Amino acid sequence: MVFSYSDSVYPIRADFGEAHRAYWHELARPGCWWNGAERVAIAAAVRSARDCGLCAERKQALTPNAVQGEHADAGVLPTVAVEAVHRITSDPSRLSKAWVDGLAKQGLSDAAYVETVGIVGAVVSIDSFHRNLGLPLEPLPKPEGGEPSGYRPPSAEPGEAWVPWIRPEKASGSETDLYFGMARVPHVGMAMSLVPDAVRAMGRLSEAQYIALAIVAMPGRNQPGRALERAQIELVAGRVSALNECFY
Amino acid sequence: MLLRESGAMEGRVFDPRAVTDASVASGVPFGEELVAFASASVTGSEAELAQHREALEAAMGVEAMVDAAGVAANFERMVRIADATGIPLDKPVAVFTVGLRQELGIDAFGAARNTPKVGALLAALGRLGQPLARRLMARYAGRS
Repeated sequence: MVFSYSDSVYPIRADFGEAHRAYWHELARPGCWWNGAERVAIAAAVRSARDCGLCAERKQALTPNAVQGEHADAGVLPTVAVEAVHRITSDPSRLSKAWVDGLAKQGLSDAAYVETVGIVGAVVSIDSFHRNLGLPLEPLPKPEGGEPSGYRPPSAEPGEAWVPWIRPEKASGSETDLYFGMARVPHVGMAMSLVPDAVRAMGRLSEAQYIALAIVAMPGRNQPGRALERAQIELVAGRVSALNECFY
Repeated sequence: MLLRESGAMEGRVFDPRAVTDASVASGVPFGEELVAFASASVTGSEAELAQHREALEAAMGVEAMVDAAGVAANFERMVRIADATGIPLDKPVAVFTVGLRQELGIDAFGAARNTPKVGALLAALGRLGQPLARRLMARYAGRS
């Protein structure tokens, strides 16, 4: 069984394993814009970005655009997708709207980009959990067959983000469940709604690793069963965000 | 902001500067160990991470250390979602945190350009309105 944390030297809550297994299963299946093999290749590219010479050089440069070259990656992904995965993984604080628009001009649609963001974020966080506990990384899943659905939510529209999103009042039909009926949703909760399943996956992982998204904006409220107080959780969250130079 | 407000909800005062300056005492119980572990998670070597993992476990217990490992991992994801989609701060947060952001120095982060500048008048109103905002948040959280 994947993510069998019962073998770990640490007592790891069961919901960590459940959430990580559920994501691995989802990762292997066709998404909206990438098939299973491509989604797993995105996950592999996240891991190869860590040892990528071009990413390391760019990270040191005054501006990432000053360094040209090829990323270390031998996967099945188009070059533009590899660039997206590596930059989001290794240098997220210096991304720009111009860069995202440039990816679109090279053929990476806004929705495929959002699906990519979701996969990168999930794999980075699951791998980071393992690293934080000194555990070996879980082998990537075997891709399942099938084609991407091509689903683009009709209610998605341009907003304040670089990519279209679904506003809470427009979350109806297939997207009724997306925001748990909340009238106000933090921007980070709406950010990937152009690919609704990416939002759902974010919610499941957050509930295990952090707290349920429905109570994030309620300071002082905590997820039952946590060994950390809410303030202790937010201290860790704030420190990690600050070191990543994340303004949001 | 969630750190500061989490304390305020319980009548405690925490210093949010600890997130940008590890030498500042947050006032959060076991804050020093938590900040050291979170720092090692992002920037530390495997050896440093192991050292702070053990220190946190010794201070708070293994369950708390595992929870902290999960939170730190989760925010490696959240920062990438926020930065890769260019989301601005939510408007009320932008208005109510003008002073806090200046204090923490995070307006210098590159992604700050995604959030429109808050005018001086609105920023002043935000400062004045903080007690009301706090009461609304408490009501929202079902704790008042």
